[in-house]
Amino acid sequence: MLVFAGLDNHPIGQKNEPDREGVANEARPGTCNAPRRCFLMIGKRGLWAYRTRLCPLRPAIMTATLTAPKDSFRAGAAASLAITLGYFPVGVAFGIAAERAGLSALEAGFLSAVIYAGASQFLVLALLGTGAPLLVTALSIMATNLRHVLYGPAILEKARDRAASRHAWGWAGWLSDGAFGATIVALDKSREHFSERFMFGIGLGPYVSWVLGTLAGAVFGGAVSGYPALDAALGFLMPALFLAMLLALLSRRTLGVVIITALVTAPLILLVSPTVGIVGGMVAGALSGLIRWEGKFR
Amino acid sequence: MTTEVLLIGLIVGVGTWAMRFLPTRLNVSSVDPDGPVSRFLNATGPAAITALTVAAFLPLLEADLRAMTLLSAGVVGTIAGFLVRRDISVATVAGAVAYGLAFWLL
Repeated sequence: MLVFAGLDNHPIGQKNEPDREGVANEARPGTCNAPRRCFLMIGKRGLWAYRTRLCPLRPAIMTATLTAPKDSFRAGAAASLAITLGYFPVGVAFGIAAERAGLSALEAGFLSAVIYAGASQFLVLALLGTGAPLLVTALSIMATNLRHVLYGPAILEKARDRAASRHAWGWAGWLSDGAFGATIVALDKSREHFSERFMFGIGLGPYVSWVLGTLAGAVFGGAVSGYPALDAALGFLMPALFLAMLLALLSRRTLGVVIITALVTAPLILLVSPTVGIVGGMVAGALSGLIRWEGKFR
Repeated sequence: MTTEVLLIGLIVGVGTWAMRFLPTRLNVSSVDPDGPVSRFLNATGPAAITALTVAAFLPLLEADLRAMTLLSAGVVGTIAGFLVRRDISVATVAGAVAYGLAFWLL
């Protein structure tokens, strides 16, 4: 199979890593499996034909080579498309809430642009004007984002030998829950996805969508409330998004972590608070990763 | 823009950015890939997504037949969308459409 390594920088030929996406690509007709199919059909002559431009599949192979590489900015933007779609209505909801709390569209947009963290921003609205000292208010709001501390190292660990953080001052700022989830799902398929370009691609769409959604919500506020079914559908986008990401990650390897996390998160949310539930469940789930689950779900 | 909004926005914004950026300066390349730190960090992704999923779904659980039907429609739509294309975007939109349709019909 590896005889194609290096030919026109063909993406399949470059590696011999049995990742999930690689397997999927090889099984998909008309894409990168063309050279392999050629080789399988006529043995070593297939390679000879390809090299001498006589292979009938060469145009298809060249086309496949020209598609966006796994680690490109475009691939990152595509990987976070669902997040981009999902963040807009939530941004609208924040814009409406901010407008109702007495903030101008400019102030609402400013909060979304500089904070870019949904739960914290809703908390800002709740705490503004309560008379609490500014620093105490700010620190208690930041405490809701404590889980973000683990996002960067988790991504870099998953990327392993491809890890790079030279421009992390830029892309790490866009590591929202959704962007992190999309990155983990992509790296779970193949760590070849990781590059700093890819990370900028993952982060930009959801960020712009969030800020524009906020402005739209603050300016056009109640227009959506005239269409309750649409309002309900938009309200279900975020739960659907997290469920879809969970489905994409679910495997025998992760099942134990998922079960432990769910069992810890639910009671903590119900008995203490959503913030404690999310952070507590996440830490418990991550700690349960120390157990080798692979052999336990057969 | 009021000074309070400006200051709170800047403090929380810089703090959130620092919480996301500064940990990326840690050198994780020397961590043993099969060691506890690596296993902990690798489990962080699935754990975070699970915790966020639970947090997103808990408020939707109500002792009400209509609410549970809507929720079931949304969940089935999401799972069906995922099984058809194995794509997060398709699954998300399918779930929201199913939920909205059920809302409209009931």
